[in-house]
Amino acid sequence: HGHIKKPKPGEELHVTFILKDGTQKTFEVSEGDTLLDIAQAHNLDMEGACGGSCACSTCHVIVDPEYYDALEEPDDDENDMLDLAYGLTETSRLGCQIKMSKAIDGIRVALPAMTRNVSSSDFE
Amino acid sequence: MLSSLIFKRFISNKKKSVSVIGSGPSGFYTVCRLLSKSPVPLAVTLWEKLPIPFGLSRYGVAPDHPEVKNCEDTFTECAGKYLLGQGQKHTFQFRGNVTIGQDVKLKQLLDTQDAVVLCYGCSGDHKLGIPGEDTTKGVFTSREFVNWYNGHPDFARSKRFENFDWKHVKNVGIIGNGNVALDIARVLLSNRREEIWAGTDINPLALDLLRSAPVENVKLIARRDFIHSKFTNKEFRELWELEKYGIKGIIQPEFYQPSQFDMKSADRVFKRRVEMVSEYLKPYDLRKKNYKKFTPPADGFSRFWELDYLKSPLSISSDNEGYIKSLTLSRNELTSDNRVIQLDSRITYDIDLLVTSLGYGSKPLAEFGELNIGFSKNHAANKNGYVLDKNGAVFPDLYACGWIRKGSSGVIASTMMDAFEVADNIIKELESQKITKSGKIDLSDVKYTTWEDWEKIDEEEKIRGRNLNKPRLKFLSRSDMLTFLDK
Ligand SMILES: Cc1cc2nc3c(=O)[nH]c(=O)nc-3n(C[C@H](O)[C@H](O)[C@H](O)COP(=O)(O)OP(=O)(O)OC[C@H]3O[C@@H](n4cnc5c(N)ncnc54)[C@H](O)[C@@H]3O)c2cc1C
Ligand code: FES
Repeated sequence: HGHIKKPKPGEELHVTFILKDGTQKTFEVSEGDTLLDIAQAHNLDMEGACGGSCACSTCHVIVDPEYYDALEEPDDDENDMLDLAYGLTETSRLGCQIKMSKAIDGIRVALPAMTRNVSSSDFE
Repeated sequence: MLSSLIFKRFISNKKKSVSVIGSGPSGFYTVCRLLSKSPVPLAVTLWEKLPIPFGLSRYGVAPDHPEVKNCEDTFTECAGKYLLGQGQKHTFQFRGNVTIGQDVKLKQLLDTQDAVVLCYGCSGDHKLGIPGEDTTKGVFTSREFVNWYNGHPDFARSKRFENFDWKHVKNVGIIGNGNVALDIARVLLSNRREEIWAGTDINPLALDLLRSAPVENVKLIARRDFIHSKFTNKEFRELWELEKYGIKGIIQPEFYQPSQFDMKSADRVFKRRVEMVSEYLKPYDLRKKNYKKFTPPADGFSRFWELDYLKSPLSISSDNEGYIKSLTLSRNELTSDNRVIQLDSRITYDIDLLVTSLGYGSKPLAEFGELNIGFSKNHAANKNGYVLDKNGAVFPDLYACGWIRKGSSGVIASTMMDAFEVADNIIKELESQKITKSGKIDLSDVKYTTWEDWEKIDEEEKIRGRNLNKPRLKFLSRSDMLTFLDK
């Protein structure tokens, strides 16, 4: 997990993670890296249980509303997994489905606190 | 020399010992969290009844959902990192083929370990409790069925499955509509689609028998109404998408009236569910774009699944050879406070196979009684993962997480959150605990497997699978596993 390439000089993109304790970390990253890869490469608390296959929702991030609309809309598969995410918000996304690009350079995302999203139905 | 010996002893004495019972996702996530976060040096032992790890990730999650099993990579990485333990702060060991409560007593663990975590999940069944359920051929619980097709050593070669007449299975009833029920429906309906199953680690003996079944109709029968459906949208969508194979979903209009749903106060999940059903019930050409990803076959539909509601099974009837013939149900009504009322009206379905999918059931370990450990309904009595005694007081140094903590519901993600919460609490307790117990457990009379043993089995399974283009070919019995290891 968490294999990212070093950005080429002049082509660095930036992403800021707001951690659970409120501290912020900004990284210089390459186009195409997913937020999951970036978080894992820097040992942030993002589990990514399914290895980025859009099958677990443990890479849930809350996107700064200022950047949310610059992202492509989540597809049905991502929305199905978001249904099961903890502490879902209007600007929630899955970190494994967001790829860095020029359009979202500077994006800020928060790692959600551990609260149960009560609306989800579960395995039984 | 002497000083380094003393130093080593000092180090090893300082370790706190933690035993985790059960190596499914909750057990393994607890272990990983403890090892990666504890400032106190730990000696962690993970106990498992089977010779091999991973619980329901290996024997529950459907074979065509390999991506869900990717959590096993994390567990493997974590085990590998702490296994040797030399010069490391923490150590980890796996002790498979050991049933806690039998081969090693829970009391032994409580006497010698600084913390003990129950992660042994649910290895029982909930039953309908109707006549014929246990004796009729062709009636199985979801746990039996899933364990069988996933190659669980206690079920993979079960005679009840092998002797059943699969060639005549056209109409299937599944009681329940949780994700497990949907998994089973998907397996049955797509049983002849080689492109789905050939490249999976499904039990090949089960697949052969399943393939012989000319399934035409699968009814998913629930006591309550559509609003109370238990599946998640992800699994539900997958079932609708079988359309491309000529497999079609049905809901009778009497059970699906969107105009009667209170959509204003509905949550996101329900809104999306209603959109999905409404779109899929339309003719293909009239749907929104993202419901037209897969075109149904030109020759139309040949197999059907149906969400059926407001019925409770009452009795099973069988033919003179003891095979299931039909299921009689009551029609139900829901009261305004959501209680189910069985009406006098009856209905009978002709079916050839019945799977009861009412959730996995959990049991207390035999020693709970004498040790005074509490158990309520479907889980160990606990508060935030701290296990309680029968009087509701915290039982010292004993914790629970995963399905044994909350009952048989929750996907791996929620099981993980649960495990993290409990592990964090354990770390806090260990940090303030003054006395350190011996940590020693005598295993001289127990034939246990180690992590290295699992690695050998894992490698062998992958080799056997490779030639067949499968991720692995599982060992189907304990004795096969143990004989292979003895070689
Ligand atoms: C059919 C099915 C399909 C599923 N599909 C998905 C899915 O697609 N996605 C998803 O996210 N979740 C899925 N789940 C849910 C997921 O499997 C659970 O959330 C998770 O496995 C619960 O973990 P656990 O560790 O509590 O229990 P388990 O995984 O059951 O682990 C318990 C372990 O304890 C061992 N054990 C039992 N008794 C003892 C004893 N006395 N001594 C020692 N060891 C013992 C067992 O052998 C087992 O290995 C599915 C569940 C089922 C049943
Ligand atoms: S890592 Fe599993 S959904 Fe993103």
